[in-house]
Amino acid sequence: MTARLARWSLLLLTVFLLAVWWPLLKDLLFEYRYGKTDLFYSPVIERFVYKELLGEGHRFIYRDQDGNDYDRQTFETLIPFIYYKNMELWGKLPLRLAGQRFDKAQIQAERQVLELEPVELPGHAPRIQLFPLLEANPGRARLRFPEDILRSGERLTFINSDANRIDPELTRVFTAALTEAGFAWPVQAVFGRVSILKAFDAGYFFLDQAGDLFQLRRVDGVPEVTPVPLPDGLAVRHVKVAENKRGDFLGLVLTEDGRLFLLTQDEARRNASGLTPLALPGYDPETMALKILFNPLYRTAIYSDQREIMAVAMDRQFEPIERYARTMAMAEPRLVDRLWEALVPFSLDLRDPDARHFRLNLKLHGPLALPAIGAALILARLLLWRRGLHSLSMAPSLLLVALTGLYGLIAIALIPPEPSNPGEAAAADQRRMAMERDAT
Amino acid sequence: MLSAILVKEWLKIRWAWLGLLALHLGMLGYLYLVVRHQFRVEHSEMIWYWAFELRRLLYEPIQYLPLISGVLIAATQFGPEMIGGRFRLSLHLPLRGDLLVWSWVAFGALMGAVLALLDAFALYWIIGRWFPREAAVSAVLTALPWLLGGWVGYFGATLALLEPAVARRLVYLGLSAAFLALLFQHRGYQEYDQVLPVLIAVALLFIPAVILPAHRCRHRG
Repeated sequence: MTARLARWSLLLLTVFLLAVWWPLLKDLLFEYRYGKTDLFYSPVIERFVYKELLGEGHRFIYRDQDGNDYDRQTFETLIPFIYYKNMELWGKLPLRLAGQRFDKAQIQAERQVLELEPVELPGHAPRIQLFPLLEANPGRARLRFPEDILRSGERLTFINSDANRIDPELTRVFTAALTEAGFAWPVQAVFGRVSILKAFDAGYFFLDQAGDLFQLRRVDGVPEVTPVPLPDGLAVRHVKVAENKRGDFLGLVLTEDGRLFLLTQDEARRNASGLTPLALPGYDPETMALKILFNPLYRTAIYSDQREIMAVAMDRQFEPIERYARTMAMAEPRLVDRLWEALVPFSLDLRDPDARHFRLNLKLHGPLALPAIGAALILARLLLWRRGLHSLSMAPSLLLVALTGLYGLIAIALIPPEPSNPGEAAAADQRRMAMERDAT
Repeated sequence: MLSAILVKEWLKIRWAWLGLLALHLGMLGYLYLVVRHQFRVEHSEMIWYWAFELRRLLYEPIQYLPLISGVLIAATQFGPEMIGGRFRLSLHLPLRGDLLVWSWVAFGALMGAVLALLDAFALYWIIGRWFPREAAVSAVLTALPWLLGGWVGYFGATLALLEPAVARRLVYLGLSAAFLALLFQHRGYQEYDQVLPVLIAVALLFIPAVILPAHRCRHRG
């Protein structure tokens, strides 16, 4: 009995390992190099244009939404705010578009990119909840890390990095500052960008128990707290901070119900209606990477998962002008993908493209895998018959193959049933010898 | 009978285990010196930035230590048994064969667990010496798949050593290697937090599995 239990443990272990390694092996053998489509809104032809890699080597296409193809240089002249350095090189500056004239300085002043990827969202990546609060007015050209780090909870605790000890004075001063501003303890979440390679420091945004948002900066060593007015009923899920001296916006606010707002850079302009809503139909923050491109004429939101890419072109007041969506070339299943999936009924994906955490996502391959399961069952029956098993005794193994297909077949081939008595083993040997005789 | 078996197991592995204990203490001492050295030559706030933001793991030098220990304990425990048919002789003791094998592996796994606990506590203490407690907890959570690697290494080696047929030995080694490769895929800290309970549950399948090679050994003609 225990020997049977032992064998079945090994069979299950084998099936599990095969199901995890199956997709990893495909990635190793048939690597995918296509990448996502580059999609833009052309201010020249006022249509969406895109660049896409179609296959091996450098098979790029440069196309607009109506299916017109361009060579690379023409394509770049269709999005001159993106390739303004090339425009300068080719003598096409200043640009004349929509009855206006744009020189290099104007283009540079209005260019901004805001990005939000699923992996940045809380729960998508492990994060040690300790944050260095930089001095926002360092009195020198570059920002530098402080010798303390901030732990949030029932209070703001500062820990000195040299001594690895709590700094009671900083802890008291900064906790008191947030309390005075009306902060409802404990801290629910902290958002900010930990880097010294940025134009300035906007500090951190703290979400309190009441769902209110507060910005905390360290200015000349003392706390500066700025409440961020939120529209009624707005529950903050994430704040993406992108300190950039150009542009009017400091970042993005994502709500629990998946809506997205732009956060104004200028604190004085932040009021209850100060968050700018973005109308992005079909946007799913869990799976879609978002990019917002700013240029002197338009704002374009482009968002994509592993399959679809969508875009909304907006005017300077963020009113939608045009929308576009298409299935990317990378989403077209290759023959090898189809074959690989058809061979097995399911796989377990260890890697999630939208998270840093390893996960075991079960992917069912559906009716596509039925022929392979049928073939695996025939082979398994033959294999078990050669080992001298009767129909009834081979039933559990066949059930395993019916449920797991090729995985089960490999498992029972590697770990076949043990003969339960010497007579059975001898019968199996005789049957094997007879088959070999017939074959010769 | 059981105490006699455990004494015998201890006598078999004592020198190897004490050697491994010395190796663990040596590696943990080395880790202590490496971290201390980092904090001597770099500014502390920069090392914290590397650790928290850039996700560098300062304690990677010990990642294969549990695996090495698991394999070595299994080798010293079952290697001599497989010489000259001693293992088959042991299976004729007045104790059920499966209970006998489980008592052996329980002892071996326990001795491996002692080393794993030492690693976990020492890692917490070393990291906590220079980092806040969140980082020390994170280090232990990050090291859990490596400790599980010790378990897989021990049982994989046990299966291969107890197995009488060479081809089947290769199968067990292949399965164990495939499992081990899943445990060292990290690019930063705590990436296995969500998946580790499943991996631990699957690794528990090794406990009943070790009976199969013993059964095959006993019933081999």
